[in-house]
Amino acid sequence: MNAYRWSDIHVGLQHGFEASFSPADVSAFAALSGDANPLHVDAAYAVAAGYPAPVIFGMLSASLYSRLVGVYLPGKFALLQGIDLDFSSPVFAGEKLNVSGVVTYLNEAYHRFEIKATIRKDDGKLVSRAMIRVGFHGE
Amino acid sequence: MDNILAELQDIFRDILDQPDLVLTRASNAANVEDWDSLAHINLVTSIEKHYKIKFALGELQELKDVGDMIDLIQAKLAAK
Repeated sequence: MNAYRWSDIHVGLQHGFEASFSPADVSAFAALSGDANPLHVDAAYAVAAGYPAPVIFGMLSASLYSRLVGVYLPGKFALLQGIDLDFSSPVFAGEKLNVSGVVTYLNEAYHRFEIKATIRKDDGKLVSRAMIRVGFHGE
Repeated sequence: MDNILAELQDIFRDILDQPDLVLTRASNAANVEDWDSLAHINLVTSIEKHYKIKFALGELQELKDVGDMIDLIQAKLAAK
């Protein structure tokens, strides 16, 4: 886990990682969130709706932005303050996802920075993009 | 100055999600709904980006209302 402090952060600093979700992850998220929408938990329903398999919850894949901030950028001392998020394409269990984020703005007065982040599939297809606002705790 | 007030009003309406908000020089965190500490950081960030200026923490701590903010913005724009 990284442990960047404010003085370590600069525009252009970037981090990324790979991840994927299993059907068990999807079931666990459904139980945890209480979102039982059949598009995500009922394979027959998802196929009838025109998808090859149940679609992973958008907020499950977006949880990778939490990992990006809490583990990588800035890591230990992160305080996630806000996310603007858009979903572009569906994700299915087992697909490899590439998460990346780059620092695009620093607010010196309040020691808050912004990350422009994306999740893409292995072929480069955009899954989601986010603008993440991050501060620090323990300063 | 009126122009800056109008531009700030647009920024405040967007950040605070209040499309009918009417901003005056006397507006402050006590009389504008939902102007809390996190919204304040978002407002300052948007203002910095809009005018391509940077504020120091000390400058921001001295502001009492939108009028003071307008004066500070004008001073920074004049010094560019």
